[in-house]
Amino acid sequence: MTRSQVIRTALAAGTAAGLLAALSACGIGGPEQVREAERTGKVAGEITFRTLQLKPAFTGYVQGVIDAFEQKYPQVEVTWEDVPGDGYNEKLVADAQAGALPDVVNLSTDSFQLLGDRGMLADIARLDGALARDYVPGAWEQFRLPGKGEGVYAYPWYVTPEILTYNKDLFAKAGLDAGKPPTSVDEFFDYAERIAGASGGRFAAFMADPKGRLPGDWQKMGIPILNERQDAFTFDTDRAVAWVERMKELYAMGAMPKESLTKSDDVNQLYGSGKIVFGPGSPGFVKDIKRNAPQVYDRTQVAGAVTGSLGHIGIYAQCLGIRKDTEHLDAATEFAKWVTNGPNQVAFSKQATIYPSNAAGLADPYFSDRGDGTDAETLARAIGAEQLKTAALDANTPVQWTNQVGDAVVREVQKAIKGEQDARTAVRKAQEAANRLLADAAER
Amino acid sequence: MVALFSLWPFVNTVILSFTDARILQGGRFVGFDNYTRAFADPDFWTAACNSVLYLAVVVPALVLLPLALAVLVQKEVPGIGFFRSAFYTPVIASAVVVGLIWQWVLRSDGLVNTVFRRLDLISQPVPFLTDSTLLLFSAMLVTVWKGLGYYMVFYLAALGNVPASLYEAAALDGAGPVRRFFSITVPQVKPMMLLVGTLSAISALRVFTEVYILGGEGGGPGGGARTLPFLIRQVGLGFAGETGYAAAISLLLFLLTLVFSLLGRRLSKGDEE
Repeated sequence: MTRSQVIRTALAAGTAAGLLAALSACGIGGPEQVREAERTGKVAGEITFRTLQLKPAFTGYVQGVIDAFEQKYPQVEVTWEDVPGDGYNEKLVADAQAGALPDVVNLSTDSFQLLGDRGMLADIARLDGALARDYVPGAWEQFRLPGKGEGVYAYPWYVTPEILTYNKDLFAKAGLDAGKPPTSVDEFFDYAERIAGASGGRFAAFMADPKGRLPGDWQKMGIPILNERQDAFTFDTDRAVAWVERMKELYAMGAMPKESLTKSDDVNQLYGSGKIVFGPGSPGFVKDIKRNAPQVYDRTQVAGAVTGSLGHIGIYAQCLGIRKDTEHLDAATEFAKWVTNGPNQVAFSKQATIYPSNAAGLADPYFSDRGDGTDAETLARAIGAEQLKTAALDANTPVQWTNQVGDAVVREVQKAIKGEQDARTAVRKAQEAANRLLADAAER
Repeated sequence: MVALFSLWPFVNTVILSFTDARILQGGRFVGFDNYTRAFADPDFWTAACNSVLYLAVVVPALVLLPLALAVLVQKEVPGIGFFRSAFYTPVIASAVVVGLIWQWVLRSDGLVNTVFRRLDLISQPVPFLTDSTLLLFSAMLVTVWKGLGYYMVFYLAALGNVPASLYEAAALDGAGPVRRFFSITVPQVKPMMLLVGTLSAISALRVFTEVYILGGEGGGPGGGARTLPFLIRQVGLGFAGETGYAAAISLLLFLLTLVFSLLGRRLSKGDEE
C-alpha cells in the first residue's frame, strides 16, 4: 500500500466511523421504550439525587435531610449532585438522551412535562396512590399529564403561588385606593388605565411582554386554550381578541414601558426604581426588593393574586421525579417521600421563600402569621399560603403550549399591541401558527 | 483532536440537517425536507434578509471607519496613547455590558430621546428598540461601535508598514493630505481592507448578542429583527426544539458565510494579480 492509499483508507474509515457515530448520536431510529422498574419491598441501594441550584445556600439543609434518611435506612446511600440553574434543562435532556438520568431528580414544570410526556418518569400514583391526601389540594394534580390517564409522574415538592405586589405610593398618586387592589384581569386593566392617565409618563402600570401573561391571563378569563381532546388550540375567541385590544390600548396610553414589550426590560429594576406600579407576582420578589431597594419595599403592598372568572391562581411548582427504570425503585420512592414530607418541607420553607406542597406542612402556624399586617414579606407569606389552601390552582401551562407555540403566539400579539395588525387577525394567526406546530409535533 | 472538536460537530450538523430530529426524539431521514421548508418559511427569509442587510451596512462601515480612526491616531503626538486606548475599550468590554449601555442610551426614556425632547426635536420618543427596522439599525450601531477599535489596531499595523519615503516623495511633489491618503495610504492598506471586510462580513452574519440584548429574547416586536443565528437558536431551543431544522438553517448560514469568504478571497487574489 502506498502512502497516499494508506491516508485515503484511513480517511474513509474515519468518515465511516464518524457517520455511524453521528447516526447513533442523532438517534436515527427513535429512542427505545424505557422499561418500568418494579418495587421489591427492599429499601436499599445507591441512588443519585439531583437538585437545582441549592448549593451553597441550602447545602446544610439538604445534606441534613439526606443524612437523616440514611440513618433511617442504613442500606441506602444517597449521592447528591447539585446542578446550576443555567443550562439545567439542557443537561437533563442530554442525560435523558444518554440514559443517565438520576434516580431522584428535581424538576420544574417544563422539564417535568417533557420527561413525563416521553415516558421517562415513574407513575407514583401507581406506586403510592394513597399518598395523594398528604398534599395540598391541587399540588398532586399538577403532576398528571394530558392523555396519560390517572397517572401522577412526580412527587410535589415546594411551590410558589402567585400574589399581587404593588407600590402603594404610586397607587395613591394615580388616585387609587391601596386597600382595594384589583381582583380580576379586567379590573387589573382598568387600574392600569387609571394609572396611565394619571402618571403623565412618570411611571407605568405593568410590563407589556405578552409572554409573561399568556396563557395565564387567558386561562384565568376562562378562554379555552385547547379543545377537549387536547389536540387543537381553541383560544381564537372574542374574549381573547378583546384582551389583545385592551393590551394595545393600554400600551398606546403608556400603561406599560415601551421596551417592556419585548422583555428587554428588567422588571425588578423598574419596580425597584419606582417606575412601575405592579411588580412580579411572586413572594420571593418581595424578599428581593427588601434587600435591593429598601426604600421601595417600604411602599410595597401585597394582596391575593388577580384571578378571573374561574377563580384560579397561578402556581409555580417544583417536584421530584423518579427515573422510570431506576434500579432501586423502593429506595428512590422512599427518599422522594422523605424529602417532600411535612417537617422537611416546613424546615426548607423557613430558609427560602417557598411553600410546602405538603398539607401538614402548610398547616404550620408559620404560614398563617400575618405579623402586625405592615411588613410586606410576612404578609406575602401568609397571603400566599392562604391562597394555596383555598384557591383552585391552575399552574401548568398546557404541555402543548411549548416554547415554540408560546413564541409564535407572542410574536403575533406583539404586532397587534404595536398596532401593526388588528387584534382579530393577530389571534387568528396566532392560533393557526400554534395549531400548525401542534399538528407537526403530533405527526412525529 | 481537531477532528473530534471541529470536524465532528460539523459532520453531525450536516447529518442532522437531513433528519427530522428533535430534542429527545430520534430523527428519521427526511432528505431535503428541512431545506425546502426553510425556503418556504417566511421567518427564514425575514432572518436571512436581516442578516444580509446587517452585512451590507456593517461591513462598509467597519472597513472605512476604523481606517479613518487609525489614520487619526497614527501620528505620535502627546496624549495619543489615551485616545488609542479609549477607542479600544469597547473591544474588551463584554458584549452584554455594551448592549446594556446602549439599551439605556436608546430606550424611549433613554439618553438620546431625552436630549432630543429637551431640544424640542421630537414630540414622541423615537422607537429605536421597539420598531423592528430601527432595532436592527441600533444593533448595527452597537456592532460598529464595538468593532471600531478592533479593526483600528489591524489598520495601525498595516499603516506602520507603509514606507515613509512614499509620503515624503509625494509631499515633495506637492500632494496634499487627501491626495496622499487616496494615492498612497489606500493602495498600501488595500489587502488589509479586504481582510477586514472578510472578517467583519463573517462577524456580521454571526451577529446575535446585540439583537438579543437590545430587542429581547424574541428578536424584537413580532420577531422582526431576528437574524439567522437568532432564528437557529429559537428553532432549536427548548424541549420542543427542532434540531434537524435548526441544523439545516445552520448549514444555509454556513454556505452564505462561505460565499462571502470566497468572495473576499477572490477580491484579494485579483488585487494581488
